[in-house]
Amino acid sequence: MSKSINVALIGNPNTGKTSIFNQLTGLKQKVGNYPGITVEKKQGICKLPRGVKAHILDLPGTYSLNTTSLDESVVVEVLLNKNDKDYPDVAVVITDVENLKRNLLLFTQIKDLRIPTILVINMADRMSRKGISVDIEAMEKKLDTKIALVSTRTGKGVTYVKELIANYRSLLAQPNLDTSRIAPEYFARLKQAFPKEDIYKLWLVITQDVNFMPIEKKRIQDATSFSTKSKEDLKKLQHRETVLRYQFINATLKDTYKVDLQAATGLRANLDKILTHKIFGYVIFFLILLLIFQAIFEWSTYPSDFIDEQFSLVSDWLKNTLPSGILTDLLAEGVIAGIGGIAVFIPQIAFLFLFISLLEESGYMSRVVFLMDRLMRPFGLSGKSVVPLISGTACAIPAVMATRTIESWKERLITILVTPFTTCSARLPVYLILIALVIPEGSFLGLSYQALTLMLLYLLGFGMAIFSAMVLNRVLKIKSRTLFIAEMPTYRLPLVKNVGYTVLEKTKSFVVGAGKIILAIAIILWFLGSNGYSEDFKNAETIVSERIEKQGLSPYSKNYIKNNIDLYVKSTPLSITGGEKAVSIRAIQDSVRVMTKILTESAMQQEVASYRLEHSYMGCAGKAIEPLVKPLGYDWKIGIAVLTSFAAREVFVGTLATIYSVGSDQEDTIKNRMAAELDESGKKPLFNLASGISLMLFYAFAMQCMSTLAVVKKETNSWKWPLLQLLFMSTFAYLVALMAFQLLK
Amino acid sequence: MELLQNILAYLILATAIGYLVWKFFLPKSLVGSKKASSKSCGQDDCGC
Repeated sequence: MSKSINVALIGNPNTGKTSIFNQLTGLKQKVGNYPGITVEKKQGICKLPRGVKAHILDLPGTYSLNTTSLDESVVVEVLLNKNDKDYPDVAVVITDVENLKRNLLLFTQIKDLRIPTILVINMADRMSRKGISVDIEAMEKKLDTKIALVSTRTGKGVTYVKELIANYRSLLAQPNLDTSRIAPEYFARLKQAFPKEDIYKLWLVITQDVNFMPIEKKRIQDATSFSTKSKEDLKKLQHRETVLRYQFINATLKDTYKVDLQAATGLRANLDKILTHKIFGYVIFFLILLLIFQAIFEWSTYPSDFIDEQFSLVSDWLKNTLPSGILTDLLAEGVIAGIGGIAVFIPQIAFLFLFISLLEESGYMSRVVFLMDRLMRPFGLSGKSVVPLISGTACAIPAVMATRTIESWKERLITILVTPFTTCSARLPVYLILIALVIPEGSFLGLSYQALTLMLLYLLGFGMAIFSAMVLNRVLKIKSRTLFIAEMPTYRLPLVKNVGYTVLEKTKSFVVGAGKIILAIAIILWFLGSNGYSEDFKNAETIVSERIEKQGLSPYSKNYIKNNIDLYVKSTPLSITGGEKAVSIRAIQDSVRVMTKILTESAMQQEVASYRLEHSYMGCAGKAIEPLVKPLGYDWKIGIAVLTSFAAREVFVGTLATIYSVGSDQEDTIKNRMAAELDESGKKPLFNLASGISLMLFYAFAMQCMSTLAVVKKETNSWKWPLLQLLFMSTFAYLVALMAFQLLK
Repeated sequence: MELLQNILAYLILATAIGYLVWKFFLPKSLVGSKKASSKSCGQDDCGC
């Protein structure tokens, strides 16, 4: 029978913990949340030698067990609670060979909890380059553990880690430090008050700054026979503990860890000098951003167009293959159009995450955080706010949750309130389709106008976040400041496997997460657009036919027929000479006549579909809100899309795709449908420069995301802040969009 | 066939509405989401 054990992966941030987790578990991973809180919980399964199955838990990165934030305290919660289902049979502490001294602090703390502990020294491939040598055998004796030298880059040592985990019973669960030395008299009193309990565990419970789960301080405080020390005294004792641990670590490393500085190369220092330079650092970052946006536009055009065409073909195929009826129409016009509206952006989203992942994996993102910290200090925010703001480029929800690392409540609140201004990936589809429609295709110094516009929108979002932070900083009068300590990981070549995982996982979660909402909204919209209560809706065909008989086709339809005929004539070869030429011209004239007839019928059906849509339930709702959106340059259809995209921004494109699909008789790509829409006058495209810029600015500033609002409510524990955020962002977005349209029209 | 198409289409509509209500409007406690663990610690020598 196979045995199953719990393994906890623990380590400082940037030690390659996730890489080892990926190597141990492969694709057998599950991402969830810790109960009651939204700190990400990554779990996976690893098959070990001798049929042992290990449940691997990737715990959040922490520098020690003296935690200051919610996500760090998750580690303490798991390690202190033997009743927790995740309580480890064995802890695997991941360290970085270059920062071993600092990383061992956490190791000794875990060892002192009497949990069987394995030490993994990661990034071993860099040892020779850095002139580092480790006497593993001697270190194992001193630390009373088993050590594995691992390189996740080459995969070296991972099998040995699996072997060590499988043999965890041979590890001694003895502490490294005599913890009573921290405060002999105090610990003796503790022992007297709680004779049956582990004193170091009690000590950690007493000194936790964050306490949100079952670990109770109250019981200790309630014990009449024992009184705890003041907060200041406890802090002093914590410092003493750290000093004692470093004395032990120094003594351990003295004989077992050597660095030959002459053998080390100084590439990192030189690179840092350039990449974090107060002028060149920003210039390089700016150039990298330009490259990213250029790539998003240039490289993703072909796969994106291909996907768009495929959805159009599938829709067409469904209509021609399935028996006609309401279900067929729903699938072809509602479901396929709605899903197609988001699927066309998969290449762009994947490219965005590819670049973000490359920047993170290479170690450059930490330098960006450092650069931004310098930039943001004058605006009242510390570097701790930069991490949520930068991660907000992917999604505002984890970014808002990432503010938990900020100790100062006011600084945290400001970061929560301004983070939704940073351009998240949900805005990308909206920007991309609008830019493609209203920004010309030319280029400046080899950079396309479209890519430049996209970059400007990203900078605008970030600028607005900083500006709002400055205003809030003055209004809320922040007194406390957060000390920001950022670790600069060494530069490394990104691992293809890790980058691949990230791109795949993030793109999948974007498509699946947003896709379900878009699909549901597309279905409801299709019903609302295909049904109506008024006589106009029911008699649409008769009314439109009578109108065409009296007034002729609309200017749009006439234009549509003319353009198609011109195209047809141009594409017809006329190469015959002599007497046969007259015959050929007559044949073409005949075919043009047939073509005109077909096109006229199609245009008439189009007008009926459009009229029906206008008088459907959705049309009535759209017309009701039209007065509100008309000053911004939008018609009722865009109004509906703005309204539905309150659920999530990316719904905007899916909604328009569904609306235009219902209101049209022909199958076409989303972009072509949007480009063909005319404004009220019937002469100008609906999506022109003025209305396009107005829409982009609206989406840059509006709080169009219900999930973010829910997370803000959860993190601030009040409806006051999300509602204020919604009110401010929506009003501001409306006013800016209004000004933009009125100035540009 | 038309009746079947109607039934299926309205079933899909009901599912879509149900999903959105579940996603955005129902309190999480009603839909069986994970709640904060209330189990107390303190058994054995866990130190809690």
